[in-house]
Amino acid sequence: MSEVLVALAGSPNVGKSTLFNRITGGDVHVANWPGVTLQRAEGKTEHHGIALRIIDLPGTYSLSAQDIGEKIAREFIVEEKPDVIVIVVDATSLEKSLYFAVMALELYRKAVIALNMIDAAEKRGIHIDTEGLESKLGVPVVPVSALKGIGLGVLLDRILDVVQGRARTCPLRVDYNGLETFIHEVEGLLRDKGALDKYPSRWAAVRLLEGDEVLLDELKKENPELARKVHSIRERARIELGEDPERIAISSRYSLIDEIVSSTVTRVRLAAPTLSEKLDQLMLHPVAGPVASVLLILFTFFLIFAVNTGFPLNILLDHMGYNELAALVEEYSLSGILGSLFDWLSSALSEWLTSMGYEDWLVGLVSDGIIGSIGTLASFIPLLLMAYVFLGAMQDSGLFPRAAVSLDNLFRRFGLSGRAFFPAALGMGCSVAAVVSTRAMDDDRERMVAAMASPLIPCQARLLVLLALASAAFTNPLEQSALTVSVYLLSFVLYLLTSKLLNKFVFKVEYAPDLVMELPPYHRPSLRVIWWYARSNTEHFVKKAGLLIFFLGVTTWFLLNFGPTGYLSQGDISMSYAAILGNLLTPVTSLIGLPDWRYALAFEVGFVAKEGLLITFSSITGAADPVEALRSIGITPLKAVSMALAMNYYVPCLATVAALFSELRIGKYVLLTVAIEIALALLLAGTAYWVGILMGLS
Amino acid sequence: MDGNLLPLIALRPGQRGRIVTMNVGRGKARRLMELGLLPGEVVEVISNSVGPVVLRVRGMTLALGRNVASRVWVEVIP
Repeated sequence: MSEVLVALAGSPNVGKSTLFNRITGGDVHVANWPGVTLQRAEGKTEHHGIALRIIDLPGTYSLSAQDIGEKIAREFIVEEKPDVIVIVVDATSLEKSLYFAVMALELYRKAVIALNMIDAAEKRGIHIDTEGLESKLGVPVVPVSALKGIGLGVLLDRILDVVQGRARTCPLRVDYNGLETFIHEVEGLLRDKGALDKYPSRWAAVRLLEGDEVLLDELKKENPELARKVHSIRERARIELGEDPERIAISSRYSLIDEIVSSTVTRVRLAAPTLSEKLDQLMLHPVAGPVASVLLILFTFFLIFAVNTGFPLNILLDHMGYNELAALVEEYSLSGILGSLFDWLSSALSEWLTSMGYEDWLVGLVSDGIIGSIGTLASFIPLLLMAYVFLGAMQDSGLFPRAAVSLDNLFRRFGLSGRAFFPAALGMGCSVAAVVSTRAMDDDRERMVAAMASPLIPCQARLLVLLALASAAFTNPLEQSALTVSVYLLSFVLYLLTSKLLNKFVFKVEYAPDLVMELPPYHRPSLRVIWWYARSNTEHFVKKAGLLIFFLGVTTWFLLNFGPTGYLSQGDISMSYAAILGNLLTPVTSLIGLPDWRYALAFEVGFVAKEGLLITFSSITGAADPVEALRSIGITPLKAVSMALAMNYYVPCLATVAALFSELRIGKYVLLTVAIEIALALLLAGTAYWVGILMGLS
Repeated sequence: MDGNLLPLIALRPGQRGRIVTMNVGRGKARRLMELGLLPGEVVEVISNSVGPVVLRVRGMTLALGRNVASRVWVEVIP
C-alpha cells in the first residue's frame, strides 16, 4: 500500500504539537501554507512497514472557517481527503476539547481520537471510559500521553485499522432538536440539485443554516437561486424557533458533549488548589502581574545576551571591580568564541593560499569575502536559537498569554489589546516572526497596526550591530549599556506610539479591540517541543538567510575590491564600485552626521539584512571583528549614537518587508511602514547628532 | 431571576453566575459560544480588577476584555 496521509487536528493547547513531534520523531519539514505565512509542518514516520505522511493542521477551536486557521484546516480535510484524521483532545478537560472533535467528526468520519494527557487526568482522579467514548463518537479512541510517549504504538495501530478498514467508523449525528426539520429541508434541496457535493450533505445543511459565510458564498457561485432559497429557510427557522439557528446548533453540540462526558467521565476526587491557581494570583494581580511580565521578558533576554555576548554580565562584573572576570566572560561568550575562531580561520587560510601561490584577489575573496560572511552568519545562529528556546518555553508553559492579559490595560491606551504583546516579544527574536505572529489576532485593524509597528522592535541582528557600535565607540561599560538599553526602551515606546498614531490617522479608530483569549493551564515546558520549535525556526532562518548573507558578503567584497579600473590590488578603496554606490546616498547620511560613503554603503547593504551592516564594515577594513572594524573607520561616540538610531529604524529588512507584504496584502500599507521608519530614523538620528554638536560633542 | 441580573464585570472574584444573555455582534457571539460561553452555562470569576475579566467556564480559563465582559449578563448564583 502506498503512503498513508494523516492529518493531525485539534484545538489549541491540547498538546497537538507535542504529539506531532513524538510521532514524527522530529523528522519534520516546515514550510508555509500556500499563499499565507502560517507555518505548515509536515513529517514522516513508518509503522508495520507502511509509510505515513503526517500534516499538522492549524490548532483551532472550531471548523467554522471564521479565521484563516479554520479555513485552512477545513479546506485540507475536504480537498485532500486524508486517509485518516487524528483528532487530539485533552483528557483533563473533555467538556472543552470535545467541541472541536464533534465539529470534525460531523465533517469527516475516517478519524481516530487521541485522548491526550491521560497521565495527568489519572493523577487528578479523572477516569475516562474509553470504550464508552468510542461507542458514543463512532471512531476508535486511544489514550495517550504525548509528553511521556505513552500509547503511541496503539495510536499508530488504530490509524492503520481505520485506513485498512479493520475498524468501522460511523458518522457522528448531533441531535439539533427544533432545527432538524429545517436541516432535512435544506439537505433535500442540496441533494436534488447536487449542490456542494464535495461536503457531506447533512453537514453542509447545518452549516448553511448556521450562516457559514464561506459555504454560503460557495453556494451562491454554484447556484444563486438555491442560495436564496436556503437563506429564506434560515430566516424562517429564526422566526419559527424564536432563536438564532446558530445558537441552537452550538448549544446542541454542547448538549451532546455534556451527555457524553456525564456518561464516560468519573471524577473520584476534587483536585486540590493547583500551582496554576497560585501562580495566577500573581500573574493576574493588577500591579504585580504587569511587573512580573516585564521582569520575565527582561530576565529572559538578559540571559540570552549574557550567554551570547557577555553583555550585560561583563559590564556588571566590570563595575563591581572584577575586570579580569568581565574580560573572561566576554571572551568566552559564544560570539566571542566564534569571533576568534573565524578570525583565526581567516588568517590561516589567507597565509596558506598565499603560500600556495594563488593570486591576491582570490586569497582576499576566500579569506575575507567568504569566510568573513560565514563567520557573521555563524555568530548569529546561537543568538537566534537561544531567543527561540526561551520564547518557545514561555509560550509552551502558558506564561505568554498571562503576560498578554496583564499588559492589556497598558496596551489599551494605545488602541491595542494585550495580544499586541506577542509580536513585541517575538520581535526581539526576529521581525519576520513578529509580523507573522500577528496572524493570530482576530481584530483585523489591530492585526495590521501591530504588524506595521512590530519591525520597530530591535531584532537579534540589530542587537549585534548595536552591541558592536556601543563597544567600539564607548570605553566606559556604563555608557555602552546606557546606549543599548535606551535604544530598546525607545523602541518599545515607539511601538506603542506608532500604533496609536496609525490607529488614529490611518485606520481612524481609537477604541482598543477586546481580548478574548484562553489561558491554558501552566505546565512544565516540554524540552522536545521547545527544542523542535527553536531548531525548526532557526533552520528556516539559516536556509532562507544563509544564502543571502553569503551572497551579500561576496558581493560586498567584489564591490569593494573592484572598480572601473579593474581589481584594486593595494586597495585604494575610494576608487571602488562600493565607494561610487555609497556616494549616491551620502547626501542623505550627511543629514545625520555620517557624510562618509562607507556608512552609506553599510546602510544600503543592511536593507537586505541588518547584519549586512557589520559585514560591510568588516569587508571594508578586513577586520573580522566588527568592533575593530568600526574603530578603524573612526567611529566616535556621537556618530555611534546617530548610527545606532538610524540603523534600528531606517527600514525593515528585505525579509520583513516581504513578510509584511504577504500579511497585509495592501502595498500602500507596506510603503507607509517603510516611510514611517525612514522618517523616524532621520528624525531621531538627526536630532541626536545635531543636539550633540550644539552641546560640543563629537 | 429578576433583580440580580448583572454584567460579568460586576462580579467579584469567586462569584458565580449563569449566563442569561450576550449583547455582542454576530461574529463575536459565535466565537464566544464556540468557546462555551452559552446562555445557561455557569461561569466563575477568577480575577476582575483593572484589566480583562478572567473566568472559568467548562473547565477552561478564559480572559475577556472589559468591554465584552460588560455585555455578557449573568444571573448571580448565591
